[in-house]
Amino acid sequence: MNLARLMAAPGALGGGSAGGQGRAPSRHSPRGGRPAEPGAMAAYLTHQQKVLRLYKKSLRHLESWCIHRDKYRYYACLLRDRFDKNKDVKDMVKATELLRAGEEEFWANQHPQPYIFADSPGGIAYERYEMYKLPEWCLDFWHPSEKAMYPDYFAKREQWKKLQRESWEREVKQLQEETPSDGPKTEALPPARKEGHLPPMWWHHVTRPREQPM
Amino acid sequence: MDLSLVLNTFMLLTLATLSTPILFPLLSNNLKNTPETITNTVKASFLISLVPMTIYIYSGTESLTSLWEWKFIMTFKIPISLKMDFYSLTFFPIALFVSWSILQFATWYMAADPYITKFFTYLLFFLIAMLILIIANNLFILFIGWEGVGIMSFLLISWWHGRAEANTAALQAVLYNRIGDVGLILCMAWLASATNTWEIQQLPTSPQTPTLPLLGLILAATGKSAQFGLHPWLPAAMEGPTPVSALLHSSTMVVAGIFLLIRTHPLFNNNQTALTLCLCLGALSTLFAATCALTQNDIKKIIAFSTSSQLGLMMVTIGLNLPELAFLHISTHAFFKAMLFLCSGSIIHNLNGEQDIRKMGGIQKMLPTTTACLTIGNLALMGTPFLAGFYSKDQIIESLNTSYLNTWALLLTLLATSFTAVYTIRMTMLVQTGFVRIPPLTPMNENNPAVTSPITRLALGSITAGFLITSFTIPTKTPPTTMPLSIKMTALVVTALGIFLALEISKMAQTLILKKQTPLSNFSVSLGYFNPLTHRLSMTNSLKGGQNIASHLIDLSWYKMLGPEGLASLQLKATKTATPLHSGLIKAYLGSFALSILIILMSSY
Repeated sequence: MNLARLMAAPGALGGGSAGGQGRAPSRHSPRGGRPAEPGAMAAYLTHQQKVLRLYKKSLRHLESWCIHRDKYRYYACLLRDRFDKNKDVKDMVKATELLRAGEEEFWANQHPQPYIFADSPGGIAYERYEMYKLPEWCLDFWHPSEKAMYPDYFAKREQWKKLQRESWEREVKQLQEETPSDGPKTEALPPARKEGHLPPMWWHHVTRPREQPM
Repeated sequence: MDLSLVLNTFMLLTLATLSTPILFPLLSNNLKNTPETITNTVKASFLISLVPMTIYIYSGTESLTSLWEWKFIMTFKIPISLKMDFYSLTFFPIALFVSWSILQFATWYMAADPYITKFFTYLLFFLIAMLILIIANNLFILFIGWEGVGIMSFLLISWWHGRAEANTAALQAVLYNRIGDVGLILCMAWLASATNTWEIQQLPTSPQTPTLPLLGLILAATGKSAQFGLHPWLPAAMEGPTPVSALLHSSTMVVAGIFLLIRTHPLFNNNQTALTLCLCLGALSTLFAATCALTQNDIKKIIAFSTSSQLGLMMVTIGLNLPELAFLHISTHAFFKAMLFLCSGSIIHNLNGEQDIRKMGGIQKMLPTTTACLTIGNLALMGTPFLAGFYSKDQIIESLNTSYLNTWALLLTLLATSFTAVYTIRMTMLVQTGFVRIPPLTPMNENNPAVTSPITRLALGSITAGFLITSFTIPTKTPPTTMPLSIKMTALVVTALGIFLALEISKMAQTLILKKQTPLSNFSVSLGYFNPLTHRLSMTNSLKGGQNIASHLIDLSWYKMLGPEGLASLQLKATKTATPLHSGLIKAYLGSFALSILIILMSSY
């Protein structure tokens, strides 16, 4: 585990996950607080975000209807053209009406059993391996004979736990300072601000369980 | 050599061999189980069980073993009696063969699971419970096996218990089975009170049997074998891993209900009401399940509904008063249905957990053995001449056509047969043929013999089992001997129509016509709206009624009507009638004097 890499990369842990979420930089900063980090989720969806979500939803349901790829590609191109025709509408009222009509058409034509990826919520393998995801403090309860099977890890474990205990106060202090008074605006965790500090909640990230068991 | 002794010894040895992986680890710390030892144990049991079956085939030896008796009540005998007759002697090797293949497959499928030995132990427990059910001569022992398979089904469906849907599905299975158990217990209670025995040998033959215990047995079969009304647990049971679906919910556990009806057949012989009920229930189940399978996109759900449909067909056969034919269908169905599940498991595992047929296609070149066996299984399921399914299915449809019965049941079954062909062809075409729709860079292979040998073994079974079983057994009821050519060809014609329809529809789906929702397709996709209606509507109503009774009604009655408020209202009524009398008029007082003197005179008279 490269501690230097952890402390050096700003927001590598928390920021990376939030960066992929907002499709467009939020032009409206959330009410009553400092402006959010670029690429973070805001409290309300922009019109662009709503239109793009409708487009993606309708493409996925179209894929559920048109099983064969050539047929799907044909209808997907037609759908894209329908969206592109109204791309440059500047009047927000008309644009919202178009969006609403689109949402209703989607609701009427949706597939009753849309294709959901296996690991997505609602998919067949979602949370399947949740039962194997144990927290790391269970390792403290292992029998010495079991711990002897992994001598290298357990030799270093006490040092890591000591480091975690020492930096916990600093992490909590940083989070308390940086969170706005009416609650956090995003799920993204801030990076470590000072030299020699560790990013907040690094221990939880580093000791997170595997996605699939061995 | 005493053949019955050999028969008995080998059957008990089969059961003893199966229990060694459970007993030996308890006796010594060095004897630990592994998946391989359990698989080899089941294989050994299978080979041992072939001996009694061969003895039966060549000499007709049957046996009835009675072990220790539970002296619970002095006048009611509950021995552990085991019946080794045609049904148990034939089903033992079949169940063990299918289980051996599935366990061998599971060593590959569940290889990445940390608790694989526990999984295998659960499957072994299930197998033992199922075999106890089969060999039981006594409704008590059968009930032990019945509950055993129910419990193991619960534990195995919720194998990945971190998943909420798996837990819900397991609960659904247990609750629906429990509703069926009420029927079984009803029948056992009636038998105990009316005939003082639970032995199958001593079942009273009709016309003495009232219809009530028969209804109980039919309810038990409805619950366990997922007939219409208590069916939702079977598609939901696909939450379990594929080996579980292959073993429990296709070959063995779900046929336990039908097996119960086969065992208690003497009760049904002359009771036309019960037989007609079986017939209509079976016909409805088979059509309903086949309709639901038409629009499913999850490969395991398609095969689950197919199982449900074939179970309905078995119930129809019971309704035709042909238990041996139903047993033949159970045996042949076990082979090709288990093979279908194993093939689908191979495809699913290779695609990293993808079960949707919309994302499968063109895998014939990548998995040749699996897809070949999938085709063989599908052909057997449709009743292709001279494969396994033909011998049972075609005979059932012929008997159905030549019997004097309900035309509605006949039409439904024929329609369901053609639907079987439709969804089978749809599944085959979308999974195997056409262009590839799987994610690129999916390394698919079937190089592991743990995958190919079980599937090819079961394919061999699917091809030859029907022929072998019919060659070596003598039917007790004469099959219909003559019938017009059109009746004889009905099953084939209906299946061919279904195949043709499926090919036409898939050709239409490939051309540029965009599908919309129609009422019929909506009915099929939402599984007949059965789940939300029964699970929400009736449950909320009964719970609300119960809540009202518990909270309002009791409080209302005890604390109000019969308590202080009731008393107060009585008093109030009395006082309200009495107070106007105190009006201050002399006439009223004189009148009351006269009235009281009159009453005294009359009472002393």
